[in-house]
Amino acid sequence: MDIRWDLLAEYAPFFAKGTLLTIGLSIVSILIGCVLGLFIGLGKMSNNKWIAFPFNVYITFFRGTPLLVQILLVHFGLIPIVMGQTNAIVAAITALSLNSAAYVAEIFRAGIQSIDKGQMEAARSLGMNHVQAMRNVILPQAFKRMIPPLGNEFIVLIKDSSLAGIIAAKELMYWGQAMQGQYYRVWEPYLTAAVIYLVLTFSLSLLLSRLERRLAVQ
Amino acid sequence: MIEVKNLKKSFGQNEVLKNINVTVKPQEVVVVIGPSGSGKSTFLRCLNLLEPITGGHVWIEGSDITDKNTNINEIRTEVGMVFQQFNLFPHKSVIENIMLAPMKVRKVSADKAREKGLELLRKVGLAEKSDAYPDSLSGGQKQRVAIARALAMEPKIMLFDEPTSALDPEMVGEVLEVMKQLAREGMTMVVVTHEMGFAREVGDRVLFMDGGVIVEEGLPKELFENPKEERTKAFLSKVL
Ligand SMILES: Nc1ncnc2c1ncn2[C@@H]1O[C@H](COP(=O)(O)OP(=O)(O)O)[C@@H](O)[C@H]1O
Ligand SMILES: [Mg+2]
Repeated sequence: MDIRWDLLAEYAPFFAKGTLLTIGLSIVSILIGCVLGLFIGLGKMSNNKWIAFPFNVYITFFRGTPLLVQILLVHFGLIPIVMGQTNAIVAAITALSLNSAAYVAEIFRAGIQSIDKGQMEAARSLGMNHVQAMRNVILPQAFKRMIPPLGNEFIVLIKDSSLAGIIAAKELMYWGQAMQGQYYRVWEPYLTAAVIYLVLTFSLSLLLSRLERRLAVQ
Repeated sequence: MIEVKNLKKSFGQNEVLKNINVTVKPQEVVVVIGPSGSGKSTFLRCLNLLEPITGGHVWIEGSDITDKNTNINEIRTEVGMVFQQFNLFPHKSVIENIMLAPMKVRKVSADKAREKGLELLRKVGLAEKSDAYPDSLSGGQKQRVAIARALAMEPKIMLFDEPTSALDPEMVGEVLEVMKQLAREGMTMVVVTHEMGFAREVGDRVLFMDGGVIVEEGLPKELFENPKEERTKAFLSKVL
């Protein structure tokens, strides 16, 4: 296996652009996913079965179907309905956000339910209403426990964002395929993409374990 | 002050409280004793609706808390509760634990809440721990902070659910001392406890519960020295 460094040098700017888009897609999607996920998680925990039902359906659907199918549905179905025509980046962000929201919702639910029941009772016995108790007592404690699984979800999302290449969102994997198509080379484009993904996910997990250690001390 | 009429409470098919009738007068200290599983905690938790009530009525300061129109959050500000497991907020310092509810519920300013909190900490003998976190405190200290936290809402009634049961023996005294002082100051109290010495010393009345009913009640001296019911005798012979 001889590496064609000259071809790699030619494609380097494209890989750089693709990497930036991969990072951008992932950050925007995890942020939207967290906000959506919080509401969906809270909705699922509602004592009212009729309120909880649609949130349950949502979580079941997005966790039970392949992300690739979701991306195609959003790209060729949802986005054209909403915007008149499709747009690969909007479709990718939408699909990744909706998908991660389902996982984040479960992370929130597990985090909140892991807090001892006595905490809510103590807060309520002091006269706080449910929202005050959630905001001041339960959520701050739950967030701390959610950081490791949320970090994990972020790492998964970075890797999953590679599927957006299929709908021609010009992220990292898209350029990898483009290079293979142009030069019929396998190792150069895909190994490069793999190394870049690895650098992204590995540095994120280093960052997370530092954050966790900091929080553990507090 | 507290009036309980025909109170019933079931968990599913399991009837845990069967027709409880109790009146607690202002400044009275009522001690509840009884074997484990007899419904003491459930009874206490019904008094501030931590458990929804299945039947009967509870009036707190004249308000029927079983009435849908009663604002239960308002009632709870009048009824402090101290738990066996302390339930301090671990992410907040001691003083923040105490300041939280007055600031969020009563909308007291941070300065006022802190001032009041420090005063309460002096009262329970923990002024120097105001900036410590709950994890660094001993069990006895935690429970004294929990009492201060409840008092910060200036409740008219205090409920204690086995406040010393989770403590090492050498720490029981410091918590009972704080409770005795409260009783001397005229706080209306309902205390579930196994501390018979405490019951004798500060209890105005003792209720003996078994199987979800109040089997016997009376002055501490009478009930401890001349129990009338067989079940009371059997229980006391085990614990005294
Ligand atoms: N949340 C609950 N769900 C179902 N059963 C409960 C619950 N809380 C208490 N019980 C039952 O109610 C009975 C009385 O419990 P409790 O009031 O805790 O007794 P005590 O405080 O006197 O030990 C027990 O049989 C217990 O199993
Ligand atoms: Mg109990």
